[in-house]
Amino acid sequence: MTYRLGIDVGGTFTDFLLFNERTGAMQLTKVASTPADPSVGVLQGIRKIAKQAGIKANEISLILHGTTVATNAVLEGKGAKVGLITTRGFEQILHVARGQTPGPLAGWIIMTKPDPLAPLEFTRGISGRQDARGRLLVALDEAEVRVFITELHQAGVEALTVSLLNSYADPQVEQRIKAIATEMYDNLPVTISSDILPEFREYERTLTTVMNSYLQPMFRVYLNGMREKLVAGELRGTMSIVRSDGGVMSLEAAKDRPVNTLLSGPSGGAVASGYIGELTGYNNVLSFDMGGTSTDVAISYGGKPNVVRETRVGYYPVKSPSVDVRTVGAGGGSIAHVPLTGALRVGPQSASAVPGPACYGTGGTQPTVTDANVVLGYLPPMLLGGEMKLDTKLASEAVSTIASAMGMPLHDAAEGIYNIVNENMFGALRLVSVQKGYDPREFALVALGGAGPLHSNALSVLCGSWPSIIPPIPGVLSALGFLHSDIRNEFSRTVINTIDKMKGTEIKASLETLGKQARHWLTEEKIPARQQEIHYQVDLRYHRQGYEFPIDIDLTWLNGKHNFAPIIERFKKIHQQNYGFNINHPIEMVNLRAVAIGKVRKVELKKTKGRGRDPKKALVQKHRIYCQGGWLQASIYDRYRLRPGNEVVGAAVIVQNDSTTLILPGHVGKVDAYQNILIWPVKQGTGRKA
Amino acid sequence: MRKTEKSSKSARAKSSKVDRITLDIIENALRNARNEMDAVLFRSAMSPVIREQHDGFPMIATADGRMVVGQFGSYIAGFIRNWKRGINAGDVFLCSDPYKCDGAISHINDWLVLLPIFHSGELVGWASQFGHTIDIGGPVSGSLPTDATTIFGEGTRIPPIKLFSSGKLNEDVLDLILNNSRMPTMNYFDLMAIVAACRTAEKRVRELCDRVGKPLYASTCEALLDRTRRAMSQLISRNLPEHKVSFEDYIDDDGRGNGPYKMKLTIWREGDHGYFDWTGTDPQAPGPINFFLNEEMFKMFIGVYLIMVFDPQILFNDGFYPLLHVIMPEGTLIQPKFPAALGCRTHALTRLFDVLGGCLGANTPELSTAAGYGTSPYLLYNGYDEALEFFHLMEISFGGIPGRPFGDGMDAHSWWPLFENIPSEYLETYYPLTVLEYGSLMDSGGAGFFRGGNGVHKVYRFEADGEIAIHDDRDRSQPWGILNGLPGSSSTKTLVRANGETVLLPSKISQVKVSKGDQLIYRTAGGGGWKDPLDRPPERVHADVKGKLVSHEKARRDYGVVLDSQTLAVDIAATNELREKMRSSRGDSSTFTFGPVPRAIGLKNKEKRGKGQAV
Repeated sequence: MTYRLGIDVGGTFTDFLLFNERTGAMQLTKVASTPADPSVGVLQGIRKIAKQAGIKANEISLILHGTTVATNAVLEGKGAKVGLITTRGFEQILHVARGQTPGPLAGWIIMTKPDPLAPLEFTRGISGRQDARGRLLVALDEAEVRVFITELHQAGVEALTVSLLNSYADPQVEQRIKAIATEMYDNLPVTISSDILPEFREYERTLTTVMNSYLQPMFRVYLNGMREKLVAGELRGTMSIVRSDGGVMSLEAAKDRPVNTLLSGPSGGAVASGYIGELTGYNNVLSFDMGGTSTDVAISYGGKPNVVRETRVGYYPVKSPSVDVRTVGAGGGSIAHVPLTGALRVGPQSASAVPGPACYGTGGTQPTVTDANVVLGYLPPMLLGGEMKLDTKLASEAVSTIASAMGMPLHDAAEGIYNIVNENMFGALRLVSVQKGYDPREFALVALGGAGPLHSNALSVLCGSWPSIIPPIPGVLSALGFLHSDIRNEFSRTVINTIDKMKGTEIKASLETLGKQARHWLTEEKIPARQQEIHYQVDLRYHRQGYEFPIDIDLTWLNGKHNFAPIIERFKKIHQQNYGFNINHPIEMVNLRAVAIGKVRKVELKKTKGRGRDPKKALVQKHRIYCQGGWLQASIYDRYRLRPGNEVVGAAVIVQNDSTTLILPGHVGKVDAYQNILIWPVKQGTGRKA
Repeated sequence: MRKTEKSSKSARAKSSKVDRITLDIIENALRNARNEMDAVLFRSAMSPVIREQHDGFPMIATADGRMVVGQFGSYIAGFIRNWKRGINAGDVFLCSDPYKCDGAISHINDWLVLLPIFHSGELVGWASQFGHTIDIGGPVSGSLPTDATTIFGEGTRIPPIKLFSSGKLNEDVLDLILNNSRMPTMNYFDLMAIVAACRTAEKRVRELCDRVGKPLYASTCEALLDRTRRAMSQLISRNLPEHKVSFEDYIDDDGRGNGPYKMKLTIWREGDHGYFDWTGTDPQAPGPINFFLNEEMFKMFIGVYLIMVFDPQILFNDGFYPLLHVIMPEGTLIQPKFPAALGCRTHALTRLFDVLGGCLGANTPELSTAAGYGTSPYLLYNGYDEALEFFHLMEISFGGIPGRPFGDGMDAHSWWPLFENIPSEYLETYYPLTVLEYGSLMDSGGAGFFRGGNGVHKVYRFEADGEIAIHDDRDRSQPWGILNGLPGSSSTKTLVRANGETVLLPSKISQVKVSKGDQLIYRTAGGGGWKDPLDRPPERVHADVKGKLVSHEKARRDYGVVLDSQTLAVDIAATNELREKMRSSRGDSSTFTFGPVPRAIGLKNKEKRGKGQAV
């Protein structure tokens, strides 16, 4: 039982990465995903990779899997029929939302707004009502509730959400309604808002809770399928699922809270990037995962991905702890076009997998980023492994439409497309770095996704982030990240009061209560006490500001009366860092939170010894690329024949099965002991930053 | 009419050196910087109006003050012309007097911050942002008295001053300003948040200058301006009529019992130059609804309207200004003479878009939208809470978005970009009130193939004695529909006293006493419908009825859709028959469908209209 398996269930493919804990060896494989019941594809893949490694599936001790099942269900509108019970007078809470229309002025003209995830006709408002402190203004009418639940059940709702105004302040009414519903129909999954997100702002809380209901029936099928297969004896290891915040939880926990897996897939990439950063000696990394239609970017500071409490999935702002992943509509399939203004635009429309970029020869004719890469010679027509031949002629034809629209030579147009898509990704990287007060020049950049390594060097130039790190298997790095995920969950409550009116001892007592819940959960997740960690946070803001900062605290800071000084000091530092000012004004505490962490043993990757600097044994052929307005000599190298210590001087193209790396002129790629390629500007050398 | 012709020739000569891709890249960088300004402001400001509702507008401009990114157009050139006391690195300017900045801001609640951006000693650009501050003194909490007759009766005016001089905060002046506010801390926070947003832009522009060099940055800005100019030149030639087209619409009243007020616009083109003439607009009002329209800002509005459908990704800027010519007769509602009161200019500011949209739509109605709720409805509420602390709330409400070629107008959404409602849980936590109902009002959206959005329906119960003020419009007129689309319904505000007595409030009133237990039913106007409701697929009408957005009766009356009274299922045969009958019985239709023209109010204090106020 020395094997650990990471599984990344995507919309099209499911990736598998098997890790031998004893030898450090890794095996990879890929199967087509089976969206109707993802457990089918997962099991196929497990058998396949076990066979490939010559082991039995029941020798795998730990299976960690991440999934885009939830994201795709939301984006494609394929979730359950959800009924919503809310407060009377607020039945349109999801329909009216926050009332926002996009910028600029007149942006509403082209706005698309999806129908609520819980349709209006399946929404009921009850007469019971609480005030902002949770006190009952109108008592719950149980008979009325029973009528509503019966109606909704008869209408065929598959999951029920209960979200009442001010329930964050006292959950008892919601809990009672859940008890009634469960007593009436024990098969109906019920989610209450005070359970999922006991924080104020009713729209976001209701939306997040409804999102949970929306995903719940599908997750039941999915996870029950997994469990049956586990129980059937073919598998014996523990199986966990990766959460949006980069932690993992058991399948049982995931059935109650599928909303916490919305960003399961991308968070694995962020965790893996942090790990790759640590391995290479760079604890602060920016990462970008460039796929066919979009790119996800994230930041890890001190080896840990940044976790935020709100994320956006399509139109929906979901309040669930998530790795701060930003998605931008820039990928290999992004289509370039020239609108009336004569500007060159790339994306957000994408050629996707069908018809795909023109160079695939599968019917696509519109110019994509991949076509530009082919025209420029960055993607050699014969890919190693020979799975697909890229058609240079079709790529040139497509890109020439841009060239003629802009009145410039073909290769300049292609380079324009390359530069614009880089700039779009750079914009997203700024959101997670500079906008949060981090200077990207103090970060290394990790490239993920099949398309990432082609753009990584250029993005590092834009960000000033060095080195540009190309991991050995950029295409399946998320699966590696899953192997590094700790067990994680959060327990919080809203307090809302100014600090001067609070007692440290009381806050400490409340946090300890949350901490107990957190420990209890970890124990239920079968984490031994010595691997349990509880971290505490309080969310602070200046009184009446609208947004708060989570401050990590030590409970001993709360000993003694009114002793909030170290917390205030931290808050002011963060406020200054983000907004550039502070003020002598009461500080308000909004939420208390205990973060439960169960540490897992990290995988140790295998180190290989160096073989000297010269990479000539990996040279495949001479080649040329178009770069900065002219043609350059560029050698093509085989990644699998590069050895630690080798230095590849740009311009160069390095090919492997799942990806292609571009090293720009004036840069050098150095292979480290873990087979990562670290790209540096030649004149900057390899000096390490603190 | 002021001159805005610039030597665009020299600009074009310079811009030719910029390669096209660098242009697009810097455009992206500037767009990101502008979004960052918003993020900093919304997250750090304190008043709900800025923070939750996003009433604040960012801009980045060239060294000579032309907007390269933003949404309201640049007013900086005018400021530079008038400012005689030197502009130095580290200066930050503050202004709130519309009459002292050519109407860059249009009421004194808006605090405008201008920050010159220097790079190694040289002025390379400007960052600017303004936001609505919650109270700036005067007789009425919130500083928006609905009965003011001059700007002196509205609150504290700040002429252009240096808030920071060479990096040093002018604390005495700041104290003087804040001393006049009922909410000094909140104003201080909001002001510092606005400055922080401008500093963000300053940082980004400096970085860009570092990255590409100052000369290239400057010529790129010119090229960006030039690109918009060329695009607009095409749009003007394609979309503006060569013959004169006029459109008029009304504001209900001026808050003092006078009205209605007509806004009239006539447009035409000569070559690729567009002409926009406000002649025929009513004279300025004695009350505070006058809108001191900045010419550049108006040009920007025109441009945004024209370009939205063609390249929504463009970084919209000032470049096309020389192509547009605006005629704004002095002494009218849109060009009042000092010291006319301006506080409640929101209604005219929004009606301007209805009139502009009507003019532009007359030629191409298929591509145009109907009219929306047509204002920015406010509720103000102040008093002393249980702990005897002073509270003051200002909340911006929304309404029905117009029916549009793209789809239905959204229900109870904001016509203004990026605004958000205040969570009811926030209101109930910080103010002595209970929100009893909040949603959209069934049937208030005008019927159409794509229907107008429903207006807001919101019921408040006041939990402390205090005063309220209402700012709304479209209470006597209705937002019009287009191409057989029907008008949206008017707004209403009803006060239900704790003893059951019902009082219908006018759309603009301040200092209304309320007592604990009183309820206010605030309903805003619905949007007009787009194209023929008789062509709307019956299943969509059916879905609206099931969702209680449209009533069973309205489905029949306006859409000709017959539903079973029990099951609500569509009766196809009866629907076809009814629709046929309705089609044949209605007369010829015109492009626009208006509600009745609002009647003159004729209250007892009706004042003489016309001449404007002498100083």
